[in-house]
Order: sequence, then C-alpha cells, then structure tokens
Amino acid sequence: MCMYEDLMAVYRGEEGRPLVFQPRLKHWFDVNYAAGTLPEKYRGATLEEVFRDLGVTPREVWGMGRIGSEHGGYFSLKVVDGGDVEVWTRRIRGKTGGQDDQIVTEIRTPKGDLRQVQRVTERGTSLINSEYFLKGLDDLKVFEYVLQERSYEWDENRYEWGRRRYGKVLPLRANTERIPIMWLIVGIMGFQRTVTMIWRHPEEMRGFMRVLEEEHLKMIEAYRGRPVAEINFVDNMHQDLCPPPYFMEYAIPFLKRVTPKIHAQGTVVTSHWDGFMKQLIPLVGETGMDGLECVTPLPQGDFTVAELREGLGDMFIRDGIPAVLMCPWTDVKDLKALVQELMEVFYPRLILGFSDMLPANGDIERVRLVKEMVDEFNSRL
Amino acid sequence: MTEENLFDEMKVALIEFRVDPLVEMIQAAIQKGIPAEKVIEVLSEGMNVVGAKYQAGEYFVTMLIIAGEVMKEAMAVLKPHLEGRSGGDLGKVVLATVAGDIHDIGKNILSTLLTTAGFEVIDLGIDVTAEDIVEAVKAHRPLVLGMSALLTTNLEQFPKVVTLLEEEGVRDGVKVIVGGATVTEDFARAAGVDAYAKTAVDGVNICKEWAAATLN
Repeated sequence: MCMYEDLMAVYRGEEGRPLVFQPRLKHWFDVNYAAGTLPEKYRGATLEEVFRDLGVTPREVWGMGRIGSEHGGYFSLKVVDGGDVEVWTRRIRGKTGGQDDQIVTEIRTPKGDLRQVQRVTERGTSLINSEYFLKGLDDLKVFEYVLQERSYEWDENRYEWGRRRYGKVLPLRANTERIPIMWLIVGIMGFQRTVTMIWRHPEEMRGFMRVLEEEHLKMIEAYRGRPVAEINFVDNMHQDLCPPPYFMEYAIPFLKRVTPKIHAQGTVVTSHWDGFMKQLIPLVGETGMDGLECVTPLPQGDFTVAELREGLGDMFIRDGIPAVLMCPWTDVKDLKALVQELMEVFYPRLILGFSDMLPANGDIERVRLVKEMVDEFNSRL
Repeated sequence: MTEENLFDEMKVALIEFRVDPLVEMIQAAIQKGIPAEKVIEVLSEGMNVVGAKYQAGEYFVTMLIIAGEVMKEAMAVLKPHLEGRSGGDLGKVVLATVAGDIHDIGKNILSTLLTTAGFEVIDLGIDVTAEDIVEAVKAHRPLVLGMSALLTTNLEQFPKVVTLLEEEGVRDGVKVIVGGATVTEDFARAAGVDAYAKTAVDGVNICKEWAAATLN
C-alpha cells in the first residue's frame, strides 16, 4: 500500500485505491500528555507511535510551525519583514503556570505601531486572540505598510526535514493565510469589529481586502515551482462569521481571481470550513476550489452528509466525522452510521478524518473502531 | 407626521440599519415630548422583527451585530431622557462563558439581544469558574443563568455549575440555559439545565417565555 498515491488519487478522483483514514490526533495527544492523562498504553509513547499503533495515516509532520499547528498542514514559507519594521513578542506568565499565559506582539513601524494579545489555552496547545492588531481605520494604514514591506521565502530546510521523514508517504500540503474576509475576522481584526467596520466604512474595508489579496499573490508566487500538491486556505469558514452576502461579495470574487493562479502552478486548492455551512454549501461550487477540509455534519454542524454531497458536486472532502461523536457521552451507533454514510457517499473523493480533530476528552478507542470500519470498506473495493 | 407614522418609520430605519435617520427621528420624538420609554418600546418591536428575520433565514448573525450597534447609538440619545430608569424590566440574566473557554462571540451577541429585549444583563465574561458563577447567582438573584462553551473539554462545567447551584440552595430560583457549537440537546438535558439554545435568537425567545411566565 502506498499512502502517497492513495492521497494523490483523491485529488485526481481516481477509483480503486484504498480509502485513507487520516485523523488529527496531535491535539488529543498534546493535552493529555500535558495533563498526564494519556491512556496507560500510550504513556511514554510518541505521537507517531500512537499513529502506528492505531494503524492510521499520519497527517503531514513537517515540524512545529505555529503553536497548535500539527500534522494537518503547515505554513511552508518564511516571513521576512521590512528592515524598518520591528516585531517584538513577549510572554506574560499567567496564574496557572502556563495555561493562561498571554503572548503580546507589538509591531513598530515608521507609520505607527500595532499590538496584538493572544491567550494560551488548553494547556499550552492552542492560542486565541484577546486583542487584535487592527482596531480602527488608522491601523489599516500601518498594517498595509507592514505588508508592503513584507516578503516570503520558501522554507527549504524545513521542507527537507519533512521530506526525509514523510516524503514517500504524504504529498506536501501547504497552508496559506485565510482569504481576506476571514483573515480580518479570525486573524487580525476580530469578528464584531470587522462587521461593524464593513458597515461603517465599506469602501475603506473593500480597499484593504485588496491589499490582503496582493499579499496572497506574493505567497502564491513564493510557492511557484515548489513540490506542493495542495494549498489550503486556513479559513475556519462558518456561515455565522461569513454569511452568504459576505461570501458572495468578498469570498467568491477573491477565490475566482486567485484559484486559477494556484491551479496554473499544478496545485490543488482547498479551504478549512469548520462551522455551520448549510447556507454556504450551494455557493461553494462558484469558488473554483477542489476540496474542503474539516466540514462538520450534524449533529455538530447544521447539514447532512447527503446535503453536503449534493452541494459539493465533484469536490473532495478531508475529514467529515463530527468531533463530538468521538466523545464518550455520544452513542457509538451514531458514529458508526455517520462513518458508513461518509464512506459510501464520498468515496473516492474522501480523506476520512475528524472535523476537525480528536477532542482532548475524546475516546481514542473510537479511532480504532473507525479504522476497522475503513479496513472493512477497503476490503470490499 | 403622526406618532404612529413616526414609530413605523423608526422601526423601518432600525430594521434597515439606517442609523443617522433613526437618530434624527428619535431626537424629533423627544422634542415632541414622547417619553423615552415609549421610544424604547418601539425600538424593541423593531428588534423583534430583526430577530424574526434572522430565524426565517432572511437575516444573518452579522446583521444582529449591526442591529445591536444601531441600538447602542439610539440608546445613547435616549439615555439622558430616561429619568433614572435603566431598563431591564423583564428581569436579570447572568451570562458567562465557562471555565477554560474564551470563545464568546455567541455570548456577546446574546448579551446585546437580551439587553435590547428588555433584560438587565450581568455579563461575567469568559473563563468563569463554577464557583464564581454560583456566587454571581447568589448575589444578583437573576431570573436566568446563561452559560456558553465551545470546546468539548469544557462542557462538563455545565453539570458542575448545576450541582453547585443545588448544593448552595439556589437552583430552584433560577432558570439555566446553555449554548455553544458543540453542545447538543441530549448533553444539555443530561447536564440538568432547563433549556438549550442553538442560536442567540432562540436563547432570547426562551428567556422571554420565562420572563412572561414569571410576570404573569
């Protein structure tokens, strides 16, 4: 069996190759490792040994990347800021010994300064913004200057490190920034402020999103000629954050302009959608993307597998199993029924996994159960 | 323009998020001697329409946020004319995102909607321990306690709070409602809470029903 070709077959839509089960386990592993609550059999084991024990396909393992990043892809570019742009980061220790530390980042430029505060959560395995870089119109000008001065370089050292370990197993999937509207909402401005700013200053915000688009073009250019099979926008798309009117005005036009440029480099385009999306499913075909990552059906999301299949047309999905079904208080029968439906409906356009990762309090033995179902499915191909 | 026409136009301005005309109409109403409380009543009716449009799929969460912004500007005009009344006639609601969780977008939207619906909201913020939540319930004696969590690892806080409310003897005096993307109705039921809301608008409607039952 060659996982590399099995995964490439999904990109190409080829039938006959085994279905790949590639769950994200790092979060579960990291939190339980930090808490000392790993199951007895995995104490002292590495995450890779857990993957091997379960017999499931690892996600890409190319290095640490950002905090919380893991096998599901990484940012393969080095960011090089302008000579007169200073980026200062400091960590403020919280009261619980690392679990509620804050990371303060200040960007100082000749045009002004920006400040972001992130809080470390889940035993140091994740980060969430409590203060965003962009708080008003003046900050847009400063950030625009930062981006104008910024360039991107392919991270050859990191790539080589990963290629030696997983080059024959996994095609390289590279993350890129969120599409401009989601970059604002999730990354640099925050949801409520972005909504309010778009309402109060539509022209300025539209212009700023074009600035962010230029940044994407620089990143895509930096990937040109590199061995990247897939570029993934790490959008965290959710219809409550980006409802259909936003999606039609900001997301689709951007993706229609940018996706062909990525395709021209021989690379597949995907996006990470991990929330409610029933209202967006009918629109996704207009984006030109090849697949979606995560996608969370009922009972955690707001759509059925059948609705997803109908809406996505020929697109593939990665993941699809709602994370909550891995929690011990949910019925195993529901998990089995959903996994079976996903396999039957989406194969060969499916890389099975969790939407979007095994929760820290998820049942690792349910992973083994899903693996057995995948083996049974593959035995009938 | 008759008062009825003025009120209708105010509601339309709110529903269409035209804040400048709305502020002008509110100022005109005050100048005419219309009580600020009456204007708030009219605007609340407008917010009900916004909520109904959201539930019908015509409006989206982003529009609830904008409606909240419009209401804030309207209230800034009305506040000096409220003669000491601060609103909150439907009762008190204590809100918190539970310990370990700092995802609060839904809670914040609920807070805005509850306030504009006529509740007095005491927002405890994020990452609030069960003990602090129960202390707030004892201190404020609210009609409703609302809790949110996104991460599955934090859902266990819901039954913990309920148990603590019982131990402290204050469970019977408060309705408990929970929400959050990973919360399911089954989990909420097992946690011993009174209601689960899939959306902020659902949450407001449930709170309104409880308030009506109490006031009647």
